[in-house]
Amino acid sequence: MARGAGVVTAASSGAFELPITIASRVGEPEGKTSPEELLAAAHASCFVTSLGGELARAGTPPERLTVRCTITMDEVEGAGHRIVASALSAAAIAPGCDDDGLARAAEAADAGCPFSALLRASATVTVDATLEGET
Amino acid sequence: MSERTASVTWSGSLLEGAGRIESVGSGAFAPLDVTWASRTEEPGGRTSPEELIAAAHASCFSMALSHALAQAGNPPDRLETSATVTFVPGTGITKSALTVRGSVPGMDEDAFRAAAEDAKVNCPVSKALAAVPEITLDASLL
Repeated sequence: MARGAGVVTAASSGAFELPITIASRVGEPEGKTSPEELLAAAHASCFVTSLGGELARAGTPPERLTVRCTITMDEVEGAGHRIVASALSAAAIAPGCDDDGLARAAEAADAGCPFSALLRASATVTVDATLEGET
Repeated sequence: MSERTASVTWSGSLLEGAGRIESVGSGAFAPLDVTWASRTEEPGGRTSPEELIAAAHASCFSMALSHALAQAGNPPDRLETSATVTFVPGTGITKSALTVRGSVPGMDEDAFRAAAEDAKVNCPVSKALAAVPEITLDASLL
């Protein structure tokens, strides 16, 4: 596999078709995606909908949310390569929402996000959230 | 250790708003649009968290299986893998179904199935998805 190469295709939506190699997974990406990058995109897009829902429920629907997710894979002694962490970082423009309100919404979103719940069984999930712009 | 990053923005409400995967660290893809409808109804050409998980799972499983086959002296000519991830709103991610068809010179069906089962259990994404209630595998030679 170190010499092989693959292609990953979004068969249900047709939204992407991407080359993938093991070298780009564990070394420098060199323009190629990896399972962990796909999970980062999945977790960021899952969490962003949960956070938007929580802010709306609190009466402060966001105008705009940005979520960045970093997935870390590491070699764990005796267990091979494992996905050990997912770090979520959110920035919100949410009129009427203060720092405490955002912190509460972020905590509730992490608890409610289906993918956070799954990952937490085997990895560390962290969330930080900040307000942007005029509130 | 390797770190992989993606950034997503969302504007508007859950049902009427829209999200976009703005960038990924590798630069391999993005922007990609994502909406609640593309997640729970028809994709309409847009991706979803579950489709991305499916892509991650299929590619991780393929790497693990390819590596294991090569280590055992039977490097595959080709593996065709699909993963279908099921999302039930209100419940969560309930299933990932892997299907693999392999072209592996010198290998019989039973040995291929055993190697595939091992990859299903041990690939890093399977481990990360261990809390998914159901992970299934359908493996056979081409």
